[in-house]
Amino acid sequence: MFELRKVEKRFPNVRALKAIDFEIRQGEIVGLVGENGAGKSTLMKVIYGAYQHDGGEVLKDGIPVRFENPRQAMQKGIGMVFQEQSLIPNLSVMENIFLGFEQQFVKLGVVNWKKMAAAARFQLAKVKLDIDPRIITAKLSFAQRQLVELAKVLTLEERVDGDLVILLDEPTSVLAKEEVELLFKLVRELRSRAAFIFVSHRLDEVLELTDRVYVMKDGEVVDHVVSAEASAESIQRKMVGRDINKEYYREEKQLPYDASRVLVELRNATVPGQYSNVSFQLHAGEVLTLVGTEGSGREAILRTIFGLQKLVLGDLAVKGRKVESFSAEASVASGVGYIPRERKVEGIVAGMNVYENITLSQMGNYSRFGFLRIGDEKATAKDWIAKLSIKASSEMADCGNLSGGNQQKVVLAKWRSGGSDIILLDHPTRGLDIGAKEDVYEMVRAMNADGAGIVLIADTLEEAIGLSHTILVVKDGAIQKRFDCSAGTKPSLFDLVHYMI
Amino acid sequence: MNLHNLKKHFPWMTLVLLALFVGILDPNFLRLENLIDLAGDISTLFIMALGITFVIYIGSIDLSAQSVANMITVLATLLLVHIGAFAAPVCIAIGALFGFVSGLVSTRFKVPSFIATLAVGGIALSVGQYASGQKALYMDATLREQAFGWMIGTTAGLPREMIIALVLLVVALVIERRTVLGRALKAIGAGEPAAVASGLQVNRYKMIAFAISGAFAAMAGLLFSVKLSGGSPVMANGFLLPAIVAVLVGGTPLTGGVGGVLNTFIGALIVAVIRTSMLYLNVPATAQQIFFGLVLVGAIAITIDRTKVRTVK
Repeated sequence: MFELRKVEKRFPNVRALKAIDFEIRQGEIVGLVGENGAGKSTLMKVIYGAYQHDGGEVLKDGIPVRFENPRQAMQKGIGMVFQEQSLIPNLSVMENIFLGFEQQFVKLGVVNWKKMAAAARFQLAKVKLDIDPRIITAKLSFAQRQLVELAKVLTLEERVDGDLVILLDEPTSVLAKEEVELLFKLVRELRSRAAFIFVSHRLDEVLELTDRVYVMKDGEVVDHVVSAEASAESIQRKMVGRDINKEYYREEKQLPYDASRVLVELRNATVPGQYSNVSFQLHAGEVLTLVGTEGSGREAILRTIFGLQKLVLGDLAVKGRKVESFSAEASVASGVGYIPRERKVEGIVAGMNVYENITLSQMGNYSRFGFLRIGDEKATAKDWIAKLSIKASSEMADCGNLSGGNQQKVVLAKWRSGGSDIILLDHPTRGLDIGAKEDVYEMVRAMNADGAGIVLIADTLEEAIGLSHTILVVKDGAIQKRFDCSAGTKPSLFDLVHYMI
Repeated sequence: MNLHNLKKHFPWMTLVLLALFVGILDPNFLRLENLIDLAGDISTLFIMALGITFVIYIGSIDLSAQSVANMITVLATLLLVHIGAFAAPVCIAIGALFGFVSGLVSTRFKVPSFIATLAVGGIALSVGQYASGQKALYMDATLREQAFGWMIGTTAGLPREMIIALVLLVVALVIERRTVLGRALKAIGAGEPAAVASGLQVNRYKMIAFAISGAFAAMAGLLFSVKLSGGSPVMANGFLLPAIVAVLVGGTPLTGGVGGVLNTFIGALIVAVIRTSMLYLNVPATAQQIFFGLVLVGAIAITIDRTKVRTVK
């Protein structure tokens, strides 16, 4: 009914989707799983029309189609229920449901609200939501809003010919257990009206709800299984892919850390709504990894150490000194370096060249009375270009034109050349190819050997296990479990997953 | 060389083409004396545009420059009687203070810069009106000669105001290219999140950019009042639009990060040539702003970096 054949999607420097074959039949519920960066969201965007494929074919009822935007996809019966909800909070429920399609209720330029309310009630009945459609959306609970989104997508049923395909993007991530069960019951009942693509990182839920599961990794569909015959473990193994290779993560270079030198200490740190009672120590030469799902609180912990998020309760001490005023300037001054996930946005400044980027965090070291010593800056940049084998035409090259791996090296050079010895790595290998990833792992070991401590949020669990000395599993803003990951005593993936979900 | 690389060269090519075009209309235009006069006439506006460049460079806007300059013409005339040549540093400090307040409002209260500077400009305008008692004021000729005589006249055939403008251009260029401040402003304009994540005191640098703009607007106002030997709260009216046009057609887009003061120099010359060409084409002075308004819209549309603009409000 809806099919992708050898679909390709390229971005500059990245082949995000590689020959994707995907099929969904009428009334089916199909799961789509993969780790972060595996290509799930790119695939979804191609399906609902936010991206256009640049190779292969997309077929609806056997006819090749091409969606220039989500609206065109909707006209062909493909709708999306967004993870970050797409409802406009200050509009009423019915206005949200018919947003952009009000014309049907307009007579002589005036909207017939009664007619719209009746139509909205009809849609809400499909999802068994008994609320007044005139109510302002902001007053609904999160779960109710999710149902309104679903009802909104279900309006396609009356509007388009042919069968519907509805994408559900992580619909359960913020729902309570009973709400999840209600949602699943509803989705099963709605099979008669639509086929569903269910995207989630909760494998047990995927297996419970779906008929078949597509497993993605590195932009490819690596497996396709019938849910009833699959186990969470086997899917997990497929998502991760190749066997864990000790050499890949430079495990032979993992040295014990110096337990006598504490670089960062959190004591009962709490930020309401983000995390609570978090305590740990980061030592010189240690890689400490925060493992957890998106929104578990791990990012907020990292932001606190970098000074971007103030603690409400508890203490943060950097090199034995308690942090009183939280700011990025103060953290940088005390030796903290941050390698953000959004490399192109927060990591490098595109439009500035390599030496300008490398000295950006430490201009004080390269200036006198506010005047820059540009010669010295260039010398440092040349030095680090050689040291990290950064592929740039020269220190004058615009960082925006470098490849992802080389941009990441520039960001690392920025902090290392400034002498930062507390390095926060947020998904440092996201979107990098294998060679560039290995370079990053090599640098992690080198920094450790120089006595730097690293707090890591890894792109994959195997990366977390391979690189770490210590793993803290974070869930719902609290540390669930601490794993010692010294070389030779590494926990398995399944040990971790058990505490994550 | 593709279109993208070519884009950087648009401003000076525009300038050369325009100058040739007007030169064909009237060959007298290209005479050296005429060109020097032209450059002299644009000096005050150019100084204001120099200051505005710093603010646009970080992706903000300063709409208060003209009102600050207006206010300063009045204050300079009043202060001259009491403190003589000291009126100059005081005026520049007042201008910087107004700019700083705009920056403070914009960064601390997260008010978009166009509205913050519009409000501060309103205050400046009103201060000028109140201080002047709504009248045109005149400078005492002797006092003016003693204190600011050096600003007028010519040296080696060049108008002094042009020399002052060129000196300020060099100062601005050094700030932009050689100082920590200039580098920080570039980083903020080109990638503010990365500047924050590098531990720069982004808000502080932004406030300084606004203060510089205010100080340059004050210098423009001061020079203008000395030149016209007086002050009035409407004296610099008509400066703002061409000054912003000068920055934008020079090649510093509203989204910031590229361009700079040297571009504004080219931009100001383009404005000067456009103005003159309108004289040759018999466009009345009162209608010139229509044209500058259109050029502004065109310049913004061409130069703006749309990847940095998510939604337009």
